Amino acid sequence: MAAVTIKNLTFSYSTEHTSLPATLKNLNLTFPSGKFSLLIGPSGTGKSTLLKLLANLYPAFRGRLETGTILYDDQSLADMQPSSISRMVALMFQDPDQQFAMDTVENEIIFALENLQVAPEQISAAVEWALEFVDITNLRHRVLSTLSGGEKQKVALAIIVAMDSDVILLDEPFASIDRGSRQFLLNRLAKLRDDAGKTIILADHNLSGYQDLVDAVFELDPAAKQITRLSDEQAENRFANFDHQLSPVKLGIPTAEENQVLHLSQLTLATPRETLVHVDSLGFAKGKITLLTGENGSGKSTLFNAITRLGHYQGQITYLADDIQKIRLKRYAMQVGLMFQDAQSQFLGITVDEELAISKKASHHPDYYTDSKITEMLTTINLSGCGDQVVYSLSEGQKKKLQLLEMLIVGSPVLLLDEPLKGLDLKSVTEVATFIATASHELGQTFIIISHQLTGLAAIVDYHLTLANQTLTYEEELK
Amino acid sequence: MNPSIKMLLALLIAVEVSFTQSWSVNLILVLGSLIWLIAVKVAPRKIGLLFLVPILPAIAITISMYLWTDQSVHFILVLVTRIFAYVFVGSVATLTTTLQELILSLEQNAKLPSKFAYGFLGAFNLIPKIINEVAIIRSAGRMRNQTMHFWSPSLYFKAILASLNWSENLAEAMTSHGFVEDVRRTHYRIIHVPHHNYYEFGAILVVLQLLLFATPLP
Repeated sequence: MAAVTIKNLTFSYSTEHTSLPATLKNLNLTFPSGKFSLLIGPSGTGKSTLLKLLANLYPAFRGRLETGTILYDDQSLADMQPSSISRMVALMFQDPDQQFAMDTVENEIIFALENLQVAPEQISAAVEWALEFVDITNLRHRVLSTLSGGEKQKVALAIIVAMDSDVILLDEPFASIDRGSRQFLLNRLAKLRDDAGKTIILADHNLSGYQDLVDAVFELDPAAKQITRLSDEQAENRFANFDHQLSPVKLGIPTAEENQVLHLSQLTLATPRETLVHVDSLGFAKGKITLLTGENGSGKSTLFNAITRLGHYQGQITYLADDIQKIRLKRYAMQVGLMFQDAQSQFLGITVDEELAISKKASHHPDYYTDSKITEMLTTINLSGCGDQVVYSLSEGQKKKLQLLEMLIVGSPVLLLDEPLKGLDLKSVTEVATFIATASHELGQTFIIISHQLTGLAAIVDYHLTLANQTLTYEEELK
Repeated sequence: MNPSIKMLLALLIAVEVSFTQSWSVNLILVLGSLIWLIAVKVAPRKIGLLFLVPILPAIAITISMYLWTDQSVHFILVLVTRIFAYVFVGSVATLTTTLQELILSLEQNAKLPSKFAYGFLGAFNLIPKIINEVAIIRSAGRMRNQTMHFWSPSLYFKAILASLNWSENLAEAMTSHGFVEDVRRTHYRIIHVPHHNYYEFGAILVVLQLLLFATPLP
């Protein structure tokens, strides 16, 4: 059990050569001991930065601590022995891929436990317990690079649980996790607090499910670069605002007469271990927005890979009545685009301006996406004036928004979006949703969207497709 | 045999073979290694590859030596068999051990600093990621009308950028999972050096010396 106190902390991403404005300025706050604290605030404003500072990764790996101290109870983080820090605090990263160093799930957990000098005879039991706690014992011997995004997040969480630190920091731990698992894992975290007295600090944009579990809510104000603890009433307000948009929405089901842009027939997607999806016959409506939901690891991204010819499949996929295998790959890629789950995968240039230039050159709608239109869109998503910035140095949320913008500018007739809202705050979600709806209505673009986060999207989708029991079905309701 | 001992043995044999001129001992080494590989059930396909890989340099050496130098046939034979000896002896050290075992053994038995051991391991674990990344980069390019061939500089630029990014992330990842340089770690899988390994190590080296210096082998 430990309280985390931050005193007069100012941090910036300045390097030896460049001086940048502070990301966090003069912070003074305490995360209470043995409690579950939720940290909210717009994307790209410093939540991840704060968590990395608390985990002693910054300024060691990036940035500069201008002033201030971080205390665990009465002990200053700066004075702690490096080897004892991990026993005090552990952080689960926003992107689980960036946190793995070993090949398999088991080896990664063992690596962490060996680092903490856990006795060899206790390691096996600790691994088993952690996997059971997160309910992923079946993943024990799997190779990390073959797991789905959501499965990786669960593994990352299991490792943090296995490390058994007094303070557990989680950076958007459920961004790729389905709603059922999300609630389950949230309850497990609450159990760690109640039974083991852990101090939990969790950053998230998606506020659903926290209301009855968290003890304190902290909000980051991007203008002041300050974090304040909200009163109970303020916190209630934030939750209510978020949940407000979650009432069920009635939707139609695409009819057989409707124009279909993509059609799947006798499609089977399989891993070497199991069949993931089988579809007899299913079409995607032209010019509409279809939402695709389903549990982690059910094969949603695999389906996208099949449609974009990045992965193998059995059966037939047709695009406007042509078998997609018979269309030249180069031509087909400009017809059916994919927004990758990991924003960095999309980038081809170095700066924001270069990225936009590549998209403009490839655009199907150069008359629509004029310079002034693009500037206007950049302003909406708070990226104006960032033209010279290196894309890899943007925050996760900013990367995601830039990624969507550049794929929209290309304007391929069909655009698949894999978790486009990951890492975005409510305001950004609304902006992004508006962009997508506009492109669909004004340019007749077809969208198929994988998303676990439904807030903000519910208002714009035309159809809802679920992947469950190894097949795809259209639903009449979205809730 | 313990992976570190095996590695050291292979290195010593390779050094010795470099300075001696006996094609028959080279062949004995190839044969001995072959038996070892078959005994531990290395896939026949991999063993077949070991014969194929050195063929091109072997032919090249034979032709150029024969045509453009006045070296004896014996010398050419030594050079050619030496290539095969390197490949087979090296393969005994690598094909009969997983990378994981080798690195754990180097860390625990050969006292390789753990930052190197896990740095290597982490880098090797990136290989599937790199292959996947290249496919994704090319696909991302196609979706924005940029064709990337395997000779395209932008493909390499992106791949190198991704690797640099990963190497930084790897250090951060290891730290976040409690790794601290030069601090004692426990070991879940303890790699032992059984006593008989030392005898085997010594015996093989002694036999090699006898073959090289005490027998009239050509």
